[in-house]
Amino acid sequence: MKTKKHIKMKSKLTLATSLIALSIMSFAFTSIVQKTKPWPVPEKNAKTPNPVKADKESLATGKSLWNLHCASCHGKTGLGDGSKAAQLKTQPQDLTTSSLQSQSDGSLFYKISEGRDDMPSFKKKISDPEDLWSVVNYMRTLKKS
Amino acid sequence: MKLKINIGKRLLTTSVCLAACLFLMQTTAFAQDTTAAAKDAVIPAKAKPVKNTFQSIWIIDNQTVMVPVKGTFEMDIQHRFGTVNNGYSDFWGLYASSNIRIGVDYAPINNLYLGLGFEKYNEIWDGSAKYALIKQTRGISPVSITYYGNLSLDTRKDPTNSLFTHYTDRILSFNEIIIARKFSDKFSVQISPSITHQNAVPGYLTKNDSTGRTIFEEMKHDHFAISVAGRYKLGDATALLIDYDQPLTKEPTNNPNPNLSFGFEFSTSGHTFQLFMGNYSLLNPGKNALFNTNNPFDYTQTGGTKVKGGKFLIGFNITRLWN
Repeated sequence: MKTKKHIKMKSKLTLATSLIALSIMSFAFTSIVQKTKPWPVPEKNAKTPNPVKADKESLATGKSLWNLHCASCHGKTGLGDGSKAAQLKTQPQDLTTSSLQSQSDGSLFYKISEGRDDMPSFKKKISDPEDLWSVVNYMRTLKKS
Repeated sequence: MKLKINIGKRLLTTSVCLAACLFLMQTTAFAQDTTAAAKDAVIPAKAKPVKNTFQSIWIIDNQTVMVPVKGTFEMDIQHRFGTVNNGYSDFWGLYASSNIRIGVDYAPINNLYLGLGFEKYNEIWDGSAKYALIKQTRGISPVSITYYGNLSLDTRKDPTNSLFTHYTDRILSFNEIIIARKFSDKFSVQISPSITHQNAVPGYLTKNDSTGRTIFEEMKHDHFAISVAGRYKLGDATALLIDYDQPLTKEPTNNPNPNLSFGFEFSTSGHTFQLFMGNYSLLNPGKNALFNTNNPFDYTQTGGTKVKGGKFLIGFNITRLWN
């Protein structure tokens, strides 16, 4: 009798654990869906050429701004593993991947400038557009070699 | 009590020398900038003002030359603990009575910043305006110049008029010009001469008879001071800060003490956090200029009494930007 009760309890426990696991998985998949949510960029913006040459000065500016404004979420090396990343609803984009690096400078500029969801708009925080272009230049150096 | 600060003259001389040095360096740097601009003449790009001479609008106890961009909203939380002199008994001032100011600022147009704040000590409301007059630009100006004005109102209850005879006696005005130069990506310096005006000063009658009366005013209505402050960046988000304030006006009595403060600044995209030690315990620039009783240095009073200095306290400034 005691054993039967024990087995019944065990099966209930297994069911509850499976339900919890399932709900966690569903949340996980939801976040994956959010992560890959498309981010359309107006064609005009996507085709805007980068007016700032990726020279030493621009990369230094970009790096400095990256460390101050971006690294806390996107990580020092752009992997999306910054110290604040875990607190966000959406996983910060891994900027080292070829899918991101294949985007045009204009597209990246537009996304940094306008922001979306957890990603803030930086057009006032970094008020000089040339500095934003320098951030784009620096992001190119994060590409996985 | 009249204070005779032996090193006052020396400090004044040092401040004036520092100011002169900065101006000289500015002139030299201006010449260098012009040369550099000539070399770069092939590039048609228009020279832009330098950015981030300082990271925050605060450098410990003073305003910096910085004026955030139009549309910026800011919240400031400032804290000054007790002096460290009691040691363990109040944990070096951290558990002593502290002074707090909470303020907000907004930039309605470019180059203008308006602020409003409330300080715990004497229940002081303050309103401020800051305007960037000139920005350091290669080939145009070797320095940035900003005006800062602060009007404060002491709102303590005084039903018997024992503190204030007239309502206007509660008002104090502080005006300063901040002259700054960013020498390199890491190093910036600013000098700020200021004038503080108090509508009422304490005094007493030294003569009051049929021939007339004479009033001895313990302080002057206008008080001049100068501040020198600098920042050295240790990294993209960390910097060393130092600030020195020297009273210039010699008051008949109650001479305020100078202030020496130093500390660290930590920045993120939306916050700056400054942690420091200094002598100013008040959180209003005019009140600090007039009534600072903590001296960083030893000094001798008029009667010959030696007073020990080193009255430092721990403080912090937190700013949160929304832009």
